[in-house]
Amino acid sequence: MMKMIRLIAWREYMENVQTKGFWLTVMIFPVIFIAMFFLTTALNNATPTRYYLLIDQSGQYEQAVATAIAREHQRRIMQEFVGYLLENRKDTNLELMAANARSTTDQFIDDVDADQFAALDAFLNDGGLDFALTMARPYLKDNAPPFEQPKQQFIEATLPSQVDVNGSPQEIIAALRPYLTGDREISAGDESGSLFALILIPADVDQDISRPGAIPQTPDTTKGIQYWARNLTDSRLPDAIGNSINNVIREREYVSLGVNTQLVRNVQRTRMPLNQLDPTAEAGEEAVSMADTLRQFAPMGFVYLMFISLMQSVQYLLANTIEEKSNRIIEVLLASVTPHELMMGKLLGIGMAGLTTIGAWLLSFYLFITLYDNNQTELISQILEVILGSELIPWFVFYYFAGYALYSGIFLAIGSLCDTLKEAQGLMMPMILIQIVPIASMFFVVLDPNNTIVRAMSWFPLFTPYIMMNRAAADPPMIDVIGTTITLLLSILLVLWLSGKVFKLGVLRTGQPPKMLELLRMLRSKI
Amino acid sequence: MENSVLSMHNVVKRFGEFTAVDEISFSIPKGSIYGFLGPNGAGKTTTIRMILEIIKPTSGEISVLGHASALDVRNRIGYLPEEKGLYKKMKVWAIIQYFARLKGMDKKAAKDQAWLLLEKYGLKDFAESKVEALSKGMSQKVQVLSAVAHEPELVILDEPFTGLDPVNQTVLEELITGMAENGQTVIFSTHVMQHAERLCDRILLIAKGRKIFDGTVAEAKATIPRRVTIETADDIKDLHAIAGVNEIVQLAADPSADSTVAQWQLQISEQVNPQDILRTCFDRGINLNRFEFTEPSLHDVFVHLVGDDAREHEFR
Repeated sequence: MMKMIRLIAWREYMENVQTKGFWLTVMIFPVIFIAMFFLTTALNNATPTRYYLLIDQSGQYEQAVATAIAREHQRRIMQEFVGYLLENRKDTNLELMAANARSTTDQFIDDVDADQFAALDAFLNDGGLDFALTMARPYLKDNAPPFEQPKQQFIEATLPSQVDVNGSPQEIIAALRPYLTGDREISAGDESGSLFALILIPADVDQDISRPGAIPQTPDTTKGIQYWARNLTDSRLPDAIGNSINNVIREREYVSLGVNTQLVRNVQRTRMPLNQLDPTAEAGEEAVSMADTLRQFAPMGFVYLMFISLMQSVQYLLANTIEEKSNRIIEVLLASVTPHELMMGKLLGIGMAGLTTIGAWLLSFYLFITLYDNNQTELISQILEVILGSELIPWFVFYYFAGYALYSGIFLAIGSLCDTLKEAQGLMMPMILIQIVPIASMFFVVLDPNNTIVRAMSWFPLFTPYIMMNRAAADPPMIDVIGTTITLLLSILLVLWLSGKVFKLGVLRTGQPPKMLELLRMLRSKI
Repeated sequence: MENSVLSMHNVVKRFGEFTAVDEISFSIPKGSIYGFLGPNGAGKTTTIRMILEIIKPTSGEISVLGHASALDVRNRIGYLPEEKGLYKKMKVWAIIQYFARLKGMDKKAAKDQAWLLLEKYGLKDFAESKVEALSKGMSQKVQVLSAVAHEPELVILDEPFTGLDPVNQTVLEELITGMAENGQTVIFSTHVMQHAERLCDRILLIAKGRKIFDGTVAEAKATIPRRVTIETADDIKDLHAIAGVNEIVQLAADPSADSTVAQWQLQISEQVNPQDILRTCFDRGINLNRFEFTEPSLHDVFVHLVGDDAREHEFR
């Protein structure tokens, strides 16, 4: 019996790996990955310059806005510099934490990670990039490329001559609207482009300052500073300006209240370090490092890999079963082997094809990071090392096979009921939609892996492989692990048993897929 | 029956309300060529599927090669289903090898056998082609070869001749007779009577799921009366006296013919030698314009036994 299953499995396997589609799938994933790798690098370097206009009728806040924009630029420099350090420092250590930081660069990276605003203050106080470069020099690799500063991203445009700076806000907006909507281009020095934002500060803006204890007023969009921009997603500029102007008015309040502002600033820069600790880690290693964070998010990658690979496998299973059925080869096969052997052979053969795909992906990934050897890919390989060294691999292996057995059983039954792929599509759709649920909630599950809804979802067998894989890094409660594993295994047995029945009856019938009632009869019948 | 490779006893198969096979019993001796005949929808394919235990009978007993279940002896059976199909992407020799291996042959032997058969049946040049490159007739030949490559004791071919050109039909007939000479038992279903007549030792005729006839071809022919047609202007009353002449009817005259000449049809028993009738005619001075004796063909038997059913089926 084993011999027959092996024979069928081998044929199924060879038939699939010999198709063009198979190798296309195998190739496309690494190609997309590599393309994405270069694309994100390119996109990072190609953030467009954004032109803004500031009309300050109050005459008090121009400096504050300029500071905000300069600070935002410095923040970007600092951020890029951290990235540069991560890529280029000697002996990168992802297990790094504040406690075991061995150098000032490590300390710096950790500081930025912990509190960006405080780190930015320190960065600027210490002398900014020039200081940071000097500080980091001894820790950089010999072959490290020079640090490239990011371009100024926000540049002030020249006010069009027809706009009256002292006109009413309504008039100014009316005059600038075509620039804001992109109908006209605005010039800035020698260049021109669309106007990204207009910051309009009315003359009487100080009347709109709200103080605690004042009577709450109905919100009024004409009050306060007006920030006009089509782009609603990039909040860096309004945030920076808001912060900066608030700093100015607060400082003025201090002065009017007779408070020593230097004292306040010093107080504001006092900070208590906050260490993220992991109660499940061993003593002395409770502090959360970058590697720990990576390990927390790694399950998402596994869930995604599982989804892609399972989808590919079950499609093959479906297509092959339908081919045998519509060609009536199935009859010859059933005269030679039992339906059970046929089913097992198919599951095994297609499963091997799926593993081959994953193997090919991992191999090409490995080849990419080995052959394209630069500091960036080295970082990736270090990340990979952290992931592969974690306890996630056994989870993945288990849930991959469990998920495969469960879903392939269902798709095999669907295939056995249909004569054409077209017919099968109608039945496949609900199964694909069901899988969308755990895929779509992948990110939320990682953020809160043990909340009640996620725990409840884990118990639904069709979700179990995905959700439990997703939670794997968060040490789910033992009851969840054992309970869902038992339900999952029982469901697999049930599904394989039932789909075996449907398969036996389905493969020999012809014509339209059965109605619900007939299907129920099939499931109940004894054969 | 001794030496029986296959027997069915009171086998019934129902699909819901519909009875596809109704109380069929027969037995097939070893080494014979056995024909399953019957109109479309008679239950031939269902019967064959039950023999192979692809489906189980509702009731009744089946014994295949001495076993109650075909599954126990499936490596000793070869099967060609009615609707033909092969894996399109496989090479011709590989597909024969694959099916032979599913029947328990080892890898090397199955491959050698595939090449041997392909050479013997003129397909050697296509051995490395993929199945999808073959014509319909050729791929059907490949399928027949893949069904018999493991030299099964019992070969079951469901409608093997449909789709083959006359030359290949002859090739297939030779293959079948060759297997029978080799001691293999061959069952095939067909609705082309000439094949059955040329090949079969015995036939089973079924219609509407019921057995109409089971026996040798000669026995089948005996189920319809033998007829002698004569044409004469003379009085033929003396012919009534011959033992075994059961009935004489005058046939409607051909309007264009000489009106004095009449045509008669004599129904005669099986044991009567038509020569005796001819001799009597000479003795009594009956001048014959025409004397014709034809053996009934299997086609006549088929139309006689199931003609009404077959016609009824056409209009269903």
